[in-house]
Amino acid sequence: MQVSTSHEATARAMDVPLPDAVPEAAPGADGPGAPPPELVVRGLRKTYEAETAPVRALRGVDLTVGHGEFVALMGPSGSGKSTLLHLLAGLDRADEGSVTLAGVRTEELGGARLARLRRRHVGLVFQFFHLIDHMSALENVALAALVAGAKPAEATERARDLLDTLGLLEKQGERPAALSGGQRQRVAIARALANRPTLLLADEPTGALDSDGAAEVLDLFTRLHRDGQTILMVTHSADVAGGAQRIVRMRDGVLLDADTSGEPS
Amino acid sequence: MADAFGAIRAVARAELRVGWRATLLMGLVFGLVAGIVLGGIGLAGRTASAYPRLVDAVHLDDARALVAADQPQLAAAVPSLPAVAQARTDQAWIAQIDGPALRFVSIGAPTTEHDGLVEPVIVDGRAPARGAPDEVTLSEPLAQSSGLGIGATLTLRMLTLDQVSMFDVGFGPPAGSTTTVRVVGIARMPAWGGALANVQAGPAFAAKFLPDIVGYAIYARFTAEPDAAQRFGAAFARTAAVVDQISPSVVSQYLPHTVELPSATVDPSVRAAEQVLVGGLIVFVVVLALGGLQVLGQSMLRHHSARGATQRVESALGMRASERTAARALAAVGAAVVSGVLAGGVVLASGWLEPLGSQARFEPAPGFRPVWPLVVLGGIGTALVFVLVVAIAAAVAGRRRAAAVPPVRAAAVNPFRRWPAALLGMRLAMHGRVGRGGVPAVATVVAASLAMAGVVAAVAFGASLQRLVDTPARYGQAADLTIVDAREADIARIVADPRVAALDVGATGTAELADGEPLEVASRDVRKGHMPIAVAGGRMPTGPGEVAIGPRLASGLGLDVGDTIEVRRVQGGTVVLHIVGKAVLSSQNHGGIGDTAVVTPDVMRAIAPGQPLYDAAVLAVPGAADALFAELSQGLEVFQREVPTAVANLADLVTLPELLALVLAVVAGAGLVHALLTAGRRHAREVAVLSVLGATPGQVRATLAVMAATTVLPALVIGVPLGLGAARVLWWQLATATGVAGDLAVPGRLLIVIVPAVLAGALLLSLAPAARAARTPPAVALATG
Ligand SMILES: Nc1ncnc2c1ncn2[C@@H]1O[C@H](COP(=O)(O)OP(=O)(O)OP(=O)(O)O)[C@@H](O)[C@H]1O
Ligand SMILES: [Mg+2]
Repeated sequence: MQVSTSHEATARAMDVPLPDAVPEAAPGADGPGAPPPELVVRGLRKTYEAETAPVRALRGVDLTVGHGEFVALMGPSGSGKSTLLHLLAGLDRADEGSVTLAGVRTEELGGARLARLRRRHVGLVFQFFHLIDHMSALENVALAALVAGAKPAEATERARDLLDTLGLLEKQGERPAALSGGQRQRVAIARALANRPTLLLADEPTGALDSDGAAEVLDLFTRLHRDGQTILMVTHSADVAGGAQRIVRMRDGVLLDADTSGEPS
Repeated sequence: MADAFGAIRAVARAELRVGWRATLLMGLVFGLVAGIVLGGIGLAGRTASAYPRLVDAVHLDDARALVAADQPQLAAAVPSLPAVAQARTDQAWIAQIDGPALRFVSIGAPTTEHDGLVEPVIVDGRAPARGAPDEVTLSEPLAQSSGLGIGATLTLRMLTLDQVSMFDVGFGPPAGSTTTVRVVGIARMPAWGGALANVQAGPAFAAKFLPDIVGYAIYARFTAEPDAAQRFGAAFARTAAVVDQISPSVVSQYLPHTVELPSATVDPSVRAAEQVLVGGLIVFVVVLALGGLQVLGQSMLRHHSARGATQRVESALGMRASERTAARALAAVGAAVVSGVLAGGVVLASGWLEPLGSQARFEPAPGFRPVWPLVVLGGIGTALVFVLVVAIAAAVAGRRRAAAVPPVRAAAVNPFRRWPAALLGMRLAMHGRVGRGGVPAVATVVAASLAMAGVVAAVAFGASLQRLVDTPARYGQAADLTIVDAREADIARIVADPRVAALDVGATGTAELADGEPLEVASRDVRKGHMPIAVAGGRMPTGPGEVAIGPRLASGLGLDVGDTIEVRRVQGGTVVLHIVGKAVLSSQNHGGIGDTAVVTPDVMRAIAPGQPLYDAAVLAVPGAADALFAELSQGLEVFQREVPTAVANLADLVTLPELLALVLAVVAGAGLVHALLTAGRRHAREVAVLSVLGATPGQVRATLAVMAATTVLPALVIGVPLGLGAARVLWWQLATATGVAGDLAVPGRLLIVIVPAVLAGALLLSLAPAARAARTPPAVALATG
């Protein structure tokens, strides 16, 4: 069982250079031999205009996730974890602060460039899967590969490989509605990996699953991490977080611990 | 139970608080649409029933005969002939009326009471008073052609019977009484003429001018026996023959002893026009009803799906599905009542609509005529359907996800769907999401295809109708002028005239088929130029043994090009003629279209006994027709082109298909706009997922564009041919009933324009959801979708 998710593999698959990728020396990346951190967040703020009063969901978040790291993000409900993840993936815009993804600062990028950066570097897994109902498991996964620029045959091939790896090959023709929660989440993870992302973001991937399902997913993440995949995972479960390399805690829109562990020392 | 009802009421109140505006708006829209649909049904009923209602209202007679005044024995014998259940004998006069042109009218007046037999409907004014000898009603056609209205006076100079007998040789000034009458009413009948005089007076007139009568108009109603008409006809002929021997009439050459059968003779073009009108209206009603239901269903599904979470909470609190649905139905009752009242009101108002097109001239009760059952039951039905749709939408929205989901058929990604946008767009277009606010996409495609077919059919039908009305050759009237009984010397002179573009000398006679059926035959002898004759399939006859028959004759005999007919020869024996074409000629005898068989002059002489009627048909060079007519009419009996009634009936319809097409296009367009916009909204979550996967705004636009195109393409691919097919069938029926060529005028330019136009419109529309998707951050779309 071999999941090819390393940086090298990604670089091979996504051989087209990004014209808008402006590599920038990430903070802390001083050694010429050390790889730059996968993700650097500085002073990130986000306020939602709610009906009653504005909600300050993020009040200055600093976070660095190193290459190949598996980080668990924990915190009480409403502390801003999902908001942070969305901003990291470029699914929403921050009010202030910067996100540097694979060496590219995202806040200045336009919609199309942000989308290309996302398709090249980011894989996302949600608590509620967000699979497309009228596509089969295989098509859901292949769609992501297609969007990432693969040819149809390659996309199908890759989707089948991933489903095989995740033990879902016999369910490839099934629609999401016909799958169990754990199976759906595995399809969603396969989809998130279809573009060989350098950073896998997961928002409570086990939240909708029972303990067996959660163990399944965690096992999968551990394997991915072992193969070099960088992972940032939001979770409420201490057990699940225990599988990670490092735990970051959040409360009221800020990270509690001084966050340096991702930076090479 | 009481508890459950309390819960239902509480939920209903909550529903009302949140959704009363949307529900009320839907109630108003649905009520309006339902009202138009029901009004359309009412109008279709009024249109289709106009003719039979008129027949009822006027107590139409079964048989009619005009008997000369010098054969009173015959008139007296008719009421006691076999098969007569009821009879009435009127007196008849012929009078010259003052006016710019020499003009004669016939006048009829009853002498006796006649309960319930031939009572023309008075559409304006009143009937002549019993005691007033100076009051008359005019037939609608006479009032129209003469311009005489109510209050007009006209001077009648009556002819004596002797003068009538000298009609063809001239008789000097009228020798009968002269009187001035006043028009007090305008009367309506299914048809006028023959024994039924265009001017109807009262008993006082009848008594006063008894000495001046030229005949008796006898109306009879038959007993219920099936062969009543034949028995009556035979008995009348026998009696007439006897009377002719005892005392022949001086006007026998003008008054052959013929029996008209008004109740049995309905002009086929009247029926055809009625069918077209009612058919078009039904298409309109069906499309509108489907569209209305689709919009209501979709809106309601969306409304209730958006609040699906509430239902889940209620379910968790122990409310059963039926109770949740009932609560929502209860909340919709107010809006349902509004929709029902509105629908009833619209139906009531539609009572003002007269029958469509040419059928309006048969309406026995013009003006406001509400269909109360339709108003009441339609209103109640509308309210019930509204509640039902709301209940179904709520039930579907609140239903748990079905356990078994069929697997997607293709396990592999179809290689034709090369592009992720195309893949997703097509998938989204083809799969409405029932549980989340979409009616299955099949319904959209079916409705759109039907509407498209309706538009194409209506336009093609309208184009065919317009072409017929605009092309006299298509109804056998290519000639600008027809000269009756033209002599060779005159013909030679006219042929030499440079203003004459074409001249045919036609001969018309009556031959007999082998089984004795009469067959009107004509031949055309070309003397100059080319007179266009519409040939609907095949060609004109060129030699012996060939015949081209009229389309109506062909369908009546069940024959087509390639078949043969057997016709009796004058010298005895029969001749077999091959049908080489279907030619549209209008009859010289009775003005009907497409009933005539065309042969070469030689064949004509061989099969038509007696002297044929000769006429010269003249086609003038453009612009010269009027001058030529003015000149030729000095010395010859010349007629200008006349539009046959059947075609005039159809000409009344010309704007209707276009109107129908317009309405259908608006309904279809609105439906499509609604479908595309809601589809964009419905699929906001999928579009957001696409963005998450890294699709650029351009790819999102493309996805939505593909989705829009996939939604409308089936409508075009199915609708256009379906519409053309429907138009072809409809037009063929109408054309055959009318006697003209049944080939459809395909609106080529429309077809070339409509496909790209609809596609472009759909693509343009897809920009709206695309712009919304671009504005909304995927994070927000995912949270709310
Ligand atoms: N679209 C939005 N509009 C307004 N407020 C929002 C929106 N999204 C999130 N919030 C608010 O921002 C705050 C942070 O929300 P967020 O979803 O990031 O929390 P979370 O840490 O993911 O919580 P949970 O563990 O429950 O998922 C909350 O107070 C929430 O109410
Ligand atoms: Mg969250």
